Amino acid sequence: MKTKIFSTIIASSLLFGACTDLDEKLYDKVPMDDYGQTSSEIQTIVGGAYATLRGFSDSDQGGTNCYPTCEYVFFLDECVSDEACIPTRGTDWYDGGRYQQAQSHTWDANNVMILGTWKYSFQGIANVNSIIYQVNKSGLTDHDKEVVNAELRGIRAYYYLLLLDQFGDVPIVTDFEQVGLPEKSSRKEVFQFVESELKQIMDNLPTGIIYARFTQNVANSLLARLYLNAEVYVGTPRWQDCLDACDKISGYVLETDYFESFKTANEKSREIIFSIPYDHKEGTVGNYLHSMTFHYNQKYAFSPTGTYQWCGNGISAQPGLYSSFDENDIRRKSLLIGEQINLATGSVVMMDNGNPLIYTEEIENYTNALQNEGARLYKYEVLADEQWERDHDWVVIRYAEILMMKAEANFRLGFQANAIPYVNEIRSRAGLPAVDTVNEEVLDNEWKHEFVFEGLRRTTNIRFGTFFEPWWEKGATPAYRSVYPIPQTVLDLNPALKQNPNY
Amino acid sequence: MKIHIKHTSLIYFFIMLFVIGVSQHIQAQDITVNGVVTDKKQEPLPGANIRVAGSNTGTITDFDGKFSLSCPAGSNLEISYIGYVTQTVRAASNLKVELDEDAVALGEAVVVGIGYGTMRKSDLTGAIASVNSDDLKKGIVTSAEQLLQGKVAGLSVVQGSGDPASGATVRLRGGTSLSASNSPLVVVDGIPGVDFNTVQPSEIVSIDILKDASSAAIYGSRGANGVIIVTTNRSTSNVERRSIEYNGYVAVGQVANHMDLLSANQWRQYVRGNNIANATDYGGDTDWQKELERTAVSHSHNLFINNVTANSGLSASITYQDNQGVIKRSNMDRLSGSVSGHQYALDKRLKVEIGVSGTVDNWNPIDTRIFERAANLNPTVPVTDRNGEYTSIGGTNTENPVELLNNRTFDDSRHRFLGYGKIEFEIIKGLKAAANGSYEYNSHQRRTYVPTYAVMEGKAEKGRGERHLGDYKNYQLEAYLTYDVTFNDIHKLNVMGGYSYLRNTYEGFGATRRGFDTDLFEYNNLAAGSDYRAGDVYSYKGQADLISFYGRVNYNLMGKYMFTATLRDDGSSRFGKNNKWGLFPSASVAWRVSDEDFMASTSSWLDNLKLRFGYGVTGNQDGIGEYKSLAILAADGASYYDATTGTWKKSYAPNQNTNPDLKWESTAQLNLGIDFGLFSRVNGSLEFYHKKTTDLLWTYPVAQPPYLVGTMLANVGDLTNKGVELTLNGNIMETKDFTWDANFNVSYNDQNIDKLSNEAFQESGLKTGSLHGLRGMSGQYAQIVKEGYPAGAFYGPKCQGIDENGAYIINRDENGNPVDEYLGSAQPKVNIGFGMNFTYKDFDLGFSTYGMFGQKVLNATGMSMYDPTRLPSQNVPDDFLSSGIKTDPLFSDYWVENGSFFRLQSATLGYTIPNTKKFGMQKIRVYLTGENLFVITGYSGVDPEVNINGLDDPGIERFNAYPRPRTFSFGLNVTF
Repeated sequence: MKTKIFSTIIASSLLFGACTDLDEKLYDKVPMDDYGQTSSEIQTIVGGAYATLRGFSDSDQGGTNCYPTCEYVFFLDECVSDEACIPTRGTDWYDGGRYQQAQSHTWDANNVMILGTWKYSFQGIANVNSIIYQVNKSGLTDHDKEVVNAELRGIRAYYYLLLLDQFGDVPIVTDFEQVGLPEKSSRKEVFQFVESELKQIMDNLPTGIIYARFTQNVANSLLARLYLNAEVYVGTPRWQDCLDACDKISGYVLETDYFESFKTANEKSREIIFSIPYDHKEGTVGNYLHSMTFHYNQKYAFSPTGTYQWCGNGISAQPGLYSSFDENDIRRKSLLIGEQINLATGSVVMMDNGNPLIYTEEIENYTNALQNEGARLYKYEVLADEQWERDHDWVVIRYAEILMMKAEANFRLGFQANAIPYVNEIRSRAGLPAVDTVNEEVLDNEWKHEFVFEGLRRTTNIRFGTFFEPWWEKGATPAYRSVYPIPQTVLDLNPALKQNPNY
Repeated sequence: MKIHIKHTSLIYFFIMLFVIGVSQHIQAQDITVNGVVTDKKQEPLPGANIRVAGSNTGTITDFDGKFSLSCPAGSNLEISYIGYVTQTVRAASNLKVELDEDAVALGEAVVVGIGYGTMRKSDLTGAIASVNSDDLKKGIVTSAEQLLQGKVAGLSVVQGSGDPASGATVRLRGGTSLSASNSPLVVVDGIPGVDFNTVQPSEIVSIDILKDASSAAIYGSRGANGVIIVTTNRSTSNVERRSIEYNGYVAVGQVANHMDLLSANQWRQYVRGNNIANATDYGGDTDWQKELERTAVSHSHNLFINNVTANSGLSASITYQDNQGVIKRSNMDRLSGSVSGHQYALDKRLKVEIGVSGTVDNWNPIDTRIFERAANLNPTVPVTDRNGEYTSIGGTNTENPVELLNNRTFDDSRHRFLGYGKIEFEIIKGLKAAANGSYEYNSHQRRTYVPTYAVMEGKAEKGRGERHLGDYKNYQLEAYLTYDVTFNDIHKLNVMGGYSYLRNTYEGFGATRRGFDTDLFEYNNLAAGSDYRAGDVYSYKGQADLISFYGRVNYNLMGKYMFTATLRDDGSSRFGKNNKWGLFPSASVAWRVSDEDFMASTSSWLDNLKLRFGYGVTGNQDGIGEYKSLAILAADGASYYDATTGTWKKSYAPNQNTNPDLKWESTAQLNLGIDFGLFSRVNGSLEFYHKKTTDLLWTYPVAQPPYLVGTMLANVGDLTNKGVELTLNGNIMETKDFTWDANFNVSYNDQNIDKLSNEAFQESGLKTGSLHGLRGMSGQYAQIVKEGYPAGAFYGPKCQGIDENGAYIINRDENGNPVDEYLGSAQPKVNIGFGMNFTYKDFDLGFSTYGMFGQKVLNATGMSMYDPTRLPSQNVPDDFLSSGIKTDPLFSDYWVENGSFFRLQSATLGYTIPNTKKFGMQKIRVYLTGENLFVITGYSGVDPEVNINGLDDPGIERFNAYPRPRTFSFGLNVTF
């Protein structure tokens, strides 16, 4: 008996002793190296590259939002331009002065909006590189790999085009397995990288119109943007290359209704060349610009029961923007101004301080503005039962931009007559009379009005040089501020990077 | 050797028989003594030894303390009992003997759980504190951690909320980790890692706390925060008894303290007095806090039966508890039961024990947003309008809190199950094998419905129903051998070695639907909702294995010199592939100075003096979590739009950087202890410790590029805790009718984060304690995690007061920017526990108190409420106008208050009805307990005891405090 029990104990110890296997068993996740063997698996990975375009919210620094639609990528580009601002209202929207810095062109490397902008692109690039790594390890044929990688490289080139525009010199990283801290490449090298990538992948990209996919049309649009700003980026104008790239784009029209491209169901627009799709039911996040612009009590003007989403009373148009529109310009409706009517009572919505909610164009003091000061961003459609996360897709490139690029490139090349019809096509849809001459001012105004609140304004201000001139409450801006500083936390983590000049 | 021992004992046996036979032969005139042995309180002492002096004749008392013995007339009887002073009495036919307690011996004779075995307290070499069931917290206990509040030096238990469903935070000697759990490992009847709440307070016999690393190192990578060893009455004692016990109480509780806000009349006076034109008077008179509260009635009933004989035992217990919260709709009820039994066989060499226990908790969480609304809402707003509908005045954070409370359904439940079997077998004398296997199951179900008419999310989403079920299972096997041997009477050696295997599996799933056309289904028919979103359906599963080898050697020389060494080797699946196994050693020594010859002169007053010294290394593997070292794709990745099909699909994306070096956090601890006993009245311990945690886990920002993700979990930092603890137990007075004893403990702990960065990873200071969501506080932080400070460090500008314009006078630099500096920590520096117990005849009276000192509490509620822009639309504290504050809320040390407090935790008056035996009852006791009777504090908010768990917002009171009740309960104990 004794030996029996004893041997049972020993046997059971050995039995469990054999279980010294400490490898982790995965149930609801997949190991990276084993995944991507079938084409449907490949698709789930490649789809992730498109998903990165929506940006993300980073947990560090107590939460850095890297959304191209809102905080902070859109906020930054808009607020340093001459069309928008985020005024401080009492204690609201001060946030350590980050918005005032943008408005007054005194931003420094610690501004979290700049960090969000940097992270948006580099997180996307890191993800795309990992996807390319997995595609290359998969069982696809070499040709199929090239085809799949063409789209991925296109998305990466889009990120690098943003970085080239925003930061100038940035590190070029294309290999997922690269270790060690990368150094910066010059703005010229980044320019050449974007150009050569887009050209190399062109033949492997899908042709025709596929909504929200990286097609040849998208690649040519990005090449046109690259060449349009070549003088700013590398000092050498490339107007003809811009025109040539524009000429390769086909199949799109200007929608009769300017706002067709900004409706909730804007995927139907035949004008959109590239967009970032959103659908809150699919869990997309970051698309809540409407909640950042309207007054806290705006909900009663949108929904009779006041169930419209919470709004934070933030980003507004800069004074002067609204009145710069012709009163017949239908695009002026992109700005919300005047008294807001409570749908339930029919009278003016009241603010908590007891005053009526009447949006004014003027903002007396952007460091201490009144709650109702500033026209609001009203470009995308607003529905009464809107969710916090909206469902309209974010327009990245639309056909009107191709027309404006053609107009500007022709004008810069001295072909003014060629430029006029493009400008008039745009103006006619906006309900404006045709012009018979085109000059810098006409072009600048058309860029400003046609693409108001679409995130293009900073680049346009820089190209036209207006960026460096005083406006509203900002003085002259030194030339080095045409690019942002490398964020301080990025420099701290990667000593191989050198700060941009003068920062 | 074995044969030799048997041989000598056989000879001894024959000699004994002979002696007894001879003596009986000579002394023919025997008398029969019938006696009873009790303590001072007339409680019978079962198992007391009766010996005829100068002979080997003797017996022991039965369960009622009675004995019967034949002995020569005129002989002396020596009556002894562990923990009592031995008495000698002259034999008489009827004897009644009352033994005096031996305060010192009682403490020293206690057997203490040390993990994989027990040891006499007098033989300990490490810092182990013991609490027996009499000393645990009295009154209502909804979470087992509360039992230890204020009871053990160095163990701080913080109950941040009065919600009956909330738990408490337990910290031993300060936290050892920043990102991982700081809760001690709980071992219940030998099963490590068990949910403390699988044990009912009435089942607990004793709790031992392994405080230093030399004690806790036997639990290796889970021992860094100390170990709480719980011994229950399930593993039944060997004292023969049969009994039925009932314990029950009824309790009544009310909110102990409120915020003092303007009443409707005060508000109207203010508006009239200041000629405020745009103020809206809604015509009501509402105390919003009172509207949420109620008088809570709770009751609890416990039945326990047991039957223990020499060779077997069975016990069973069932408890039902219904605890109402003092906030309406919040409550928790619990049904728990356990059955266990043991049987000896093979001449008591084999013991088999089996048991099961189960607990079902049902509770109703509340929407905690109600507290901020109740503070914000204008007192002139009535709760309901003329039509009986909830009023709604719109605005942000001013929704009707009564509506929020009532128009939502939250039904949660938790099921806990534990089953175990243990075998102990004595292979040869002194060599024992023990094996135990256990299975623990713990599930949490959440059911939520927000109806279509509920404000905010209810209306916005047209109703939302949610279900969630998550559970975990622990499979455990422990097998170990112990060998006890004594050489030459003075060398005692105990050797233990074993193996353990633990598999933890967790899984769960859930579903949400919105868009309901009717509210009739609540959460019971989710398919009726038409609005489905990504993430609304999910499931998950994970698993971790822990495999360990461990051993301990304990050597005791002459009862004066003791030495212990332990070693544990832990392998965890969570660790990175380069660090799969961790080794945790310890060693400790003790010297009983008072037993030395040179101490003879002090023996009249110094009963005991023992010095202990120990060093050990323990680990904390909790902070890693599963799969954190691997390169994996998260299948819950974002959706993407597939234009070719016009549908959305799921993408899979990598979500972490790989780190094959990930490992446990390591805590090395030195402990110096002194145990002492004085004048047979007082005993105590003094402990000094120094704990250094290295390889602290922290999520670091990393350069991107080249890293895939901008953060990475790595072992980098160092953290130190050092402190002193003093425990005193006194038997102040003891007479026939009156006893008085007292216990006191005080501890001091100082924590410092020594290092957070190395060459590869840098953390220059992470801001925490977000104030986001408070007006004007967006993006602001109240705390920092930084080298040179403790965890929970408040960080911000100092304030010199309020100037004549009503503005905060903030320390600013030459550019006018506020100068941020360290403002103290949320962690208490000093913990005190103090209690006394008195008995007078059949009455007993006891109270216990505890206090925490030196911690800071950010009164963010006050910071937000003293805001001039709140008037007239919102409410303010009634002393707001006299506060002088006339500017917007601003974070500074003005609101970082001293959170020190001292609380009368409970006081109990009991009465034991005498002579119940006549009615066949062993005992009837009734008692009255008052809890939270007062708190002494300088804190200006409602209660300074706030949650200090985690790094996010420890020590910040922010409209989030469920008010603490003051409770009176009437209880009854009956034993048949």
